[in-house]
Amino acid sequence: MSDKFLHRPAELDPFATALPRLDDALSRRVNSGPENVERGLAQLVLTIVELLRQLMERQALRRIDDRTLSEDEVERLGQTFMALAERMDELRHEFGLDPEDLNLNLGPLGNLL
Amino acid sequence: MIELYAVVDHPGPRLPTLARLRTAATTRLAAIYAPADDGEISPERLWRHEEIVEALMQDRDLLPVRYGTRLDDERAATRFLTDREEPLVSALDDVRGAVELAVRVLRTGERPDARSRPDPVTSGAEYLRRKAGSAAAERSATLAVHEPLSAAARRDVRRPSSVTGELLRAAYLVDRNRVDEFVSLVARLQDANPALRLLCTGPWPPYSFAER
Repeated sequence: MSDKFLHRPAELDPFATALPRLDDALSRRVNSGPENVERGLAQLVLTIVELLRQLMERQALRRIDDRTLSEDEVERLGQTFMALAERMDELRHEFGLDPEDLNLNLGPLGNLL
Repeated sequence: MIELYAVVDHPGPRLPTLARLRTAATTRLAAIYAPADDGEISPERLWRHEEIVEALMQDRDLLPVRYGTRLDDERAATRFLTDREEPLVSALDDVRGAVELAVRVLRTGERPDARSRPDPVTSGAEYLRRKAGSAAAERSATLAVHEPLSAAARRDVRRPSSVTGELLRAAYLVDRNRVDEFVSLVARLQDANPALRLLCTGPWPPYSFAER
């Protein structure tokens, strides 16, 4: 396999980070003690909330690009998203989740976020 | 049962001796196959399949067949070729004289978003401005790599990222005699973009360009 590297950086590990995540995804399904269930549920709910948050944020950025928002509106939206991002960080922290945990690998479709 | 490895021009060069390879041929095309094993699917068998396709690729143009593609017998293989002769011939023409190179690009270190910046964001407008700035920076970093590579390739396919921080995941169909040129272009792009990590692998059979 190593002869297939035509150009490689010194550090290869970051390219392989998707592999262990696959195992995690599988083991999460069978490991169903009460605590794990709670954390797993929180992870799922937060993943969906994070998806919506990012979608809305991107939508807001697009509207700013289109210049359809007043300065006041931009400021208010920005404050809202900033507060949402902070709240999200707190919730993640509470359940001991990393930003990486709030993502789903959709196989050929890539990552959810 | 037989296992297919590749669709090639007929007549073509002699088959390599590894595996018990045979051909099922029509007037213009041949399917290269071997008797199928009944063993389990495994990474070792996948690599063995890849090894055979790559050996065939050494001295002929081919449409690689994915691991695990099985037919009943030689007659079924011939029927497969006859039923799809025109699209197969034109797909084979498209990859003639070319190989597939894969490129992945990761950004190094942390995402330069608002949360990791040293100076705190105070206004909402500033928060959104930074978000927009880092998204635009990512898009332009991706294009700074993809556009020159795409120009050096015959065709390209971009795929969705599956790793956080992965800006580009793409396959390029590159003329065999331009592979070295392509690889030195990758090296130059790496030098020009120290904030990115570029990985280029190949030459692969043109899996990404054999189907449409």
